[in-house]
Amino acid sequence: MLQAEVEETIKRIQSQKGVQGIIIVNAEGIPIKSTLDNSSTVQYAGNVHQLLMKARGVVRDIDPQNDLTFLRVRSKKNEIMIAPGKEIIQKPKQM
Amino acid sequence: MQPALEHQEEKDSQKEEEEAPPHELTEEEKQQILHSEEFVTFFDHSSRIVERALSEQVDVFFDYSGRDLQDKEGRHLSRLVTYPELLVASYSSNEDAPHEPDGVALVWNMKYKKTTPEYVFHCQSAVMSAAFAQFHPNLVVGGTYSGQIVLWDNRSNKRTPVQRTPLSASAHTHPVYCVNVVGTQNAHNLISISTDGKMCSWSLDMLPHLELVFKQSKSVAVTSMSFPLGDVNNFVVGSEDGSVYTACRHGSKAGISEMFEGHHGPITGLDCHTAAGPVDFSHLFVTSSFDWTVKLWSTKNNKPLYSFEDNSDYVYDVMWSPTHPALFACVDGVGHLDLWNLNNETEVPTASVTVEGNPALNRVRWAHSGREVAVGDSEGQVHIYDVGEQISVPRQDEWTRLRTLSKIQLNEVLQLWALKHIYSFSCSKSQCRGRTSGRLFACVDGVGHLDLWNLNNETEVQKSPRNII
Repeated sequence: MLQAEVEETIKRIQSQKGVQGIIIVNAEGIPIKSTLDNSSTVQYAGNVHQLLMKARGVVRDIDPQNDLTFLRVRSKKNEIMIAPGKEIIQKPKQM
Repeated sequence: MQPALEHQEEKDSQKEEEEAPPHELTEEEKQQILHSEEFVTFFDHSSRIVERALSEQVDVFFDYSGRDLQDKEGRHLSRLVTYPELLVASYSSNEDAPHEPDGVALVWNMKYKKTTPEYVFHCQSAVMSAAFAQFHPNLVVGGTYSGQIVLWDNRSNKRTPVQRTPLSASAHTHPVYCVNVVGTQNAHNLISISTDGKMCSWSLDMLPHLELVFKQSKSVAVTSMSFPLGDVNNFVVGSEDGSVYTACRHGSKAGISEMFEGHHGPITGLDCHTAAGPVDFSHLFVTSSFDWTVKLWSTKNNKPLYSFEDNSDYVYDVMWSPTHPALFACVDGVGHLDLWNLNNETEVPTASVTVEGNPALNRVRWAHSGREVAVGDSEGQVHIYDVGEQISVPRQDEWTRLRTLSKIQLNEVLQLWALKHIYSFSCSKSQCRGRTSGRLFACVDGVGHLDLWNLNNETEVQKSPRNII
């Protein structure tokens, strides 16, 4: 995928019927990009980050060789889809 | 109901600083991350998954009882929904399990290939006919061997009926083979006819009570009943004596009006024409009988218009396609499902399939879409068939072509078609008499050999021998 396609893809997903918003966060749960307003972004980012950490912990706890690949939170009114990136435990600082 | 979706992605910061990470990122930092190669790789991978997940049509969480649509006070929000994927089939008793109740009706979900039904309903007497109560998506109506009409509700936790009609002389005292809900949202009735010819009309409005208003008709052993499209007063019944009767519910001549003779054996199935289009064929109906034939009639003639004699066993059921005006399906006692297209050919079926093992096929029903056919057999199995587009989808001229019924010629057909077996449900061994309501669900049909009639070539029409595929 090219850099230009990233923007296009975000727009395309956002415009699909039923999609309320897209948020991209980093490993600490800090939003990098969002199609929602600021307060919603912060609310979702904080909550989901915690949930993701917990879910990942569950999976790893049951089987340390396993890892979380996708999380879907289905509620009465809507659904949150969470696609985690690869977790890097440690990366040496580039000199 | 489509869920509103929100998509969230998480990614690792690739350039992790050793000092404490900032609580907020600057715009520059954000752009740096977004433009990094690692991010693009991650996004490429994740966005694919998310787009696939977003495009899923299937909603496994759906609650057919509608509990999730209740508002805070527990009232049901009104819905005018129907569920074409649901199918109800009633079964006679299971010889292998004598302690189970005699009456069983199962609601199957055709969207998912699960081997268990959505809902299981019981009652004490064998259920001869079952249908979804049109305008009441939670209710299933059953006509039983004892003459009782029972009502099941998928909101209740019980498998037994929530309502039963009284077993009295004022209601039915003979088996009820036909139940049908006719009318409109605001004015509808449940019509039931028993084998002694008594027709009863019930009100479903004042739920949970079934209020009885009935008309006595002439003593006719009714086996099948159908209302012409759009008609709530006049209807047609077939009987054990091989005759067809027209009747009406209201008016000075309420009851049996006319008698049409034609079949030499009990009538097993009867269906009025339903495919609405530029030409009105609502006066046409088809009947199936033990006399090995299917006949085409008009309510304007007391003799059959046409007799289809391709079968060599009892024909157990027949039904018009809900979308194609010249197409109907019939099933017989040796496992054949035949599709007849009157605009193609009237001597032999346009398409035919045999169920493996040749069980007797007791019921046939078209899906509301006209693209699938359901068949119930004597082994307790319900089979669903997909009907190819070339057969099931009518062209613009089908209605006008059908109008020249009196001069039916063999028309050239270029296409090959296919009946593909999708899947079959099975139940414990018992006789299966399945029925779907005209409005709410699709029907299934059987598996087996595929007979192809290959008519090619525009100038020359060949009736080639059946090619088995």
